[in-house]
Amino acid sequence: MASLGKVLRRPQLRFGVGVLVPVAAWYILFSFRPVLQGLRMAVIDYDLLNPSASQFVGLEHFRTILTGYELFWVASRNTLAFAAMLNAGMIPLALLLAHCLANVRRGRTFYQWALFVPVVVSMAAMALLWRFLMHPTGILNSVLVAVGLGPSGWLTSPKTALPALAMIELWKALGGNVVILTAGLLAIPVEFYDAARVDGAGPWQTFWRVTLPLLGHTLKLVGVLVLIGSLQTYTSAVILTGGGPARATYMISQFVVSEALVNFRFGLAAAAASLLFVVIFGATLAQLRLVRARWEY
Amino acid sequence: MIEVGRQCRRRSGVLGQAAAHAVLAVAAFCALFPLVWMALGSFKTYHDMLLPRLLPGTWTLDNYREIVTRIGFGTAFRNSAFVAAPSTLAVLATSAAAGYVFAKYRFWGKEVLFAVLLSTMMVPFTVVVVPLFITMADLGLVNDLRGVIVTGLCSTFGIFLMRQTIETVPNEYIDAARIDGAGEAWIFVRVVVPMVKAALATLAVFTFLGSWDNYMWPSIMLKTADNQTLPVVIAGIQQLYVVRYHLWSAGSMLTVVPVMALFTLAQRHFVRGLALAGLKG
Repeated sequence: MASLGKVLRRPQLRFGVGVLVPVAAWYILFSFRPVLQGLRMAVIDYDLLNPSASQFVGLEHFRTILTGYELFWVASRNTLAFAAMLNAGMIPLALLLAHCLANVRRGRTFYQWALFVPVVVSMAAMALLWRFLMHPTGILNSVLVAVGLGPSGWLTSPKTALPALAMIELWKALGGNVVILTAGLLAIPVEFYDAARVDGAGPWQTFWRVTLPLLGHTLKLVGVLVLIGSLQTYTSAVILTGGGPARATYMISQFVVSEALVNFRFGLAAAAASLLFVVIFGATLAQLRLVRARWEY
Repeated sequence: MIEVGRQCRRRSGVLGQAAAHAVLAVAAFCALFPLVWMALGSFKTYHDMLLPRLLPGTWTLDNYREIVTRIGFGTAFRNSAFVAAPSTLAVLATSAAAGYVFAKYRFWGKEVLFAVLLSTMMVPFTVVVVPLFITMADLGLVNDLRGVIVTGLCSTFGIFLMRQTIETVPNEYIDAARIDGAGEAWIFVRVVVPMVKAALATLAVFTFLGSWDNYMWPSIMLKTADNQTLPVVIAGIQQLYVVRYHLWSAGSMLTVVPVMALFTLAQRHFVRGLALAGLKG
């Protein structure tokens, strides 16, 4: 094997270099450099016309957004509240549906198709649809009135706009997480269930004592994906509400884009983006640690 | 391979099956109802649309006619295809080639390099968006479709997926081809690629849809109507026509139908791709 490797080294070297050099060049130009530049912009006073003359200002931008920059706090609060609502709704619902999907004998392909359709359609198109459904005189309010509840303000009231947005994102993203969790459930060896039944465990006990711990690895992944995605929400908020009403759905991503590319306050945008990066990184690590699978199989 | 759809987890009774079907039926209804409402709405007149009624009173194609002629949907459709097709082909090529090198070659610093590539998946796009926009401005690619294509030429998830898949290709095939005097490029195209076609198909549908549905970056990059992709145009209609829901639903239908057709044809690739990501991730 070793001598074979030696003989064949040269053509492999040419092919390997031919592949990796362009890929590495792309990564440097369109990934690494923008990341470093993004972090650097947080500590300099970026000069748009003469970037090399930008002055180093240390942590001043961070101080500005963290003390008395109200819009940043509004955006942070909204983003965190949105992420909390989406996670709280998504994980149990996805788990319930995955559990049902893993158990049905027939129709799994159809259900999976139906649940996954919202995932593949463009959020831009779906945002319009939901604005129509949630219109004050729209179909959702007709249903609410018909069952005896009053009409809701949905996206038009500052109180309900953020939960309504979370509901739409839940509808959009649920199917993907259900599919991942279903695959995780089906990968659990059937012997565990046989053993549980022999020991006389009921369905509820089986779920809590067998399924949930053995699903730990997959559940962890889904939790991280949902968290990362929800902290970066942009498209739905921008198209559905533009951040309104009364900034009730103004998110960090929108803050970054509008501060930098509309108001040209690059430093503040970069500082906010860096903080988001730190939060996402920290939350990911924390979640990976907290929800560590207790058993492997 | 994961056989989603084959086995059944527990021999639950009739009652358990009925309960599971009931929950799933409600969920499927909630998932599909808005889309059915939109599909039927696209054939309604404006006044019909505002009534709480599912079927159109009079069926009309005027919405489609208007959206194509007045809003220039043909251009947007072409722009979206012009971005999505080359991006997808490039991602397939770069992911398969880099995946092959990472899976089958041994060289100094390989794992470190791979870890550095993977680490880019953790950086939120929000951090990158502003410097990337400035890079594009320096390259003269703002408001240019090529500026959207070029940022989508490589995919870290794609490289990861293809490395995982190509590692399962037995070395014997590759060594046999080498002993027969085949060049590395020939081995890659004729031996490796045919054996990982299924994973490539999965990557292709994911990449194509990701590009077709993408809003954030194109909306920042593409400023004029003749350059905009479908999601950007769709979002723009909303600002143009505040209450014309019948036009929106027709526009949304034109955006969504090709994607739903592709998804329906390639469903198993989606399910497998996600399942793999979940079990390996």
